[in-house]
Amino acid sequence: MSTASAPLLRLEQITKQFKGVTAVDGVSLDVHPGEKLVIIGPSGSGKSTLLRTINFLEVIDEGRIWFEGRETGYVRRHGKPHLERQNVICPVRAEIGMVFQHFHLFPHLTVLGNVMEGPLTVQKKGKDEARETALAMLAKVGLSEKKDVYPATLSGGQKQRVAIARALAMRPKLMLFDEPTSALDPELVGEVFDTIHGLADEGMTMVIVTHHMGFARELADRVIFMEGGRFVVESTPAEFFSERLGNERIRSFLNRLI
Amino acid sequence: MKRICSRVLTALLFLWITAASLLAAQVDSEELFRQANELQGGGDLAAAVQVLGRVPSPSAGGDEEDFVRSRMQIARIKFSMGEFDQAEGAAQEVLRLFPANSEALNFVASVKTEKKPRYVTFLDDCRRFLPHLFKGAGMTLLLMVCIMAISPLGGLLIALGRISHFPPLSACCWFIIWLFRGTPLLLQLFFIYYGLPSLGITLRPFTAAIIGLGLNYSAYLGEIIRGAILSIDHGQMEAAKALGMTYGQAMRRIIIPQTYKRLMPPVANEFIALIKDTALVSTIAMVELMRAADQMFNTYFNVTALILAAVIYLAFTTLFTFIFEKIEYRAGIYEHR
Repeated sequence: MSTASAPLLRLEQITKQFKGVTAVDGVSLDVHPGEKLVIIGPSGSGKSTLLRTINFLEVIDEGRIWFEGRETGYVRRHGKPHLERQNVICPVRAEIGMVFQHFHLFPHLTVLGNVMEGPLTVQKKGKDEARETALAMLAKVGLSEKKDVYPATLSGGQKQRVAIARALAMRPKLMLFDEPTSALDPELVGEVFDTIHGLADEGMTMVIVTHHMGFARELADRVIFMEGGRFVVESTPAEFFSERLGNERIRSFLNRLI
Repeated sequence: MKRICSRVLTALLFLWITAASLLAAQVDSEELFRQANELQGGGDLAAAVQVLGRVPSPSAGGDEEDFVRSRMQIARIKFSMGEFDQAEGAAQEVLRLFPANSEALNFVASVKTEKKPRYVTFLDDCRRFLPHLFKGAGMTLLLMVCIMAISPLGGLLIALGRISHFPPLSACCWFIIWLFRGTPLLLQLFFIYYGLPSLGITLRPFTAAIIGLGLNYSAYLGEIIRGAILSIDHGQMEAAKALGMTYGQAMRRIIIPQTYKRLMPPVANEFIALIKDTALVSTIAMVELMRAADQMFNTYFNVTALILAAVIYLAFTTLFTFIFEKIEYRAGIYEHR
């Protein structure tokens, strides 16, 4: 972990409200290259919303976002952030991969087509090059033999691995995982967990929102416990899961999970 | 003297007999017609024919006019009884003596067509009507294909305009839908063809038909396409955006291709309705299938023209239903497990 280096991503005083209800309440966060950050917390604590503000799927009400040392995504008018046009937004999004709880694979494209779509359409790569990249990514998630089928024929675990390959094909600098195993049958969680673990071992920078404690325990450099739109605890996994950490809320949350 | 007297008497007798017989014949004919009419009115047609048959032919000293009248009446009675051979025979009897009698000639001709089996008459009608109907059907097909090509594009533009976040554009598209869905197509066609010239715009019937049908169907398809776009899971747009796609790229590559399968059933429905709605342009001086059938029907008073037109319409709707089903299957192939 290289906390000394410049952060890849910096969030500063992010606030997001939905119809007057504050989902994210003035949160600041630095993510350094190669870091694996796991955010846990009860439902409605704002962790998914926070993750989605990083690639502008949620538009923030207050705060600033830096990516690779540059403030990005918003222009300020009367002190309030306004989302930039897509010619600014899209190139930033293209460098940030995202994996969703419900996969959101493109059902009308084959597995290979799904993984090729980003390089083809966004990066404007040639068919052959995109295909080569896509095949390499499918090999990485262990689904080369499924390249020509449509997503409808895949299991949940396979779908999520294709979704990971689709994000990786863009060669992102940062990967966001929004509860990647929450929609899976328990016996399928392992294959997705292993895939993400493998990615972590390669040094990918990632922010993972999850209920799956394995991510926090085995993979995280840093664990954040979020509640009510704020960071309640920010610590190393060892500290987080030790009995010494004397936070009532975390203990009851963990007890309910286990 | 005695000889002279007997000769005179003989001559007188002859004259008397001749006069009496002539007189008797005349009286008989009138009486026979009266009797026959009575019998015919009472429904005893066979007896009426028998009575009329007793009206003598001119060769037997009968009156020419009465003879023709009686034989033609027999012919008509036999015709009404469906005994065409005997009906024709009666008319032929007249023609043997008066080959130029137009009443008998016409009658024989009409018996001839009636004597033909039904299907032969039908085939004759087909031969008479189909060339004209096919010409009309060609125009109907051309209209259909043009609208089927134009209206999905128009509909897509209207749908995208409606869901855009640029208020003037979405308001404009809303107005188009409101206007063209809210008024009868017939009125729109009338306005474009008969109304616009008063504003200085004169259109050819075909142009007016394409504009009228095109706008109307674009409005309907616009709402269908908008519904299909909105029905695509929002996650698809998010996934596309997360990859870095622009709104346009996401629409073109991800969202719209997924609407095809959902669009096919309602669009097929609209297009089937379109096939029949093309008939409305017959009101603006276009000769298409409906107008062609109408022309044939009004010229020949023959319902076969309308039946043939119905069959052609059915052929079109059947063909296009089949094509749409094939397209729908193809469009949804990725959902098959």
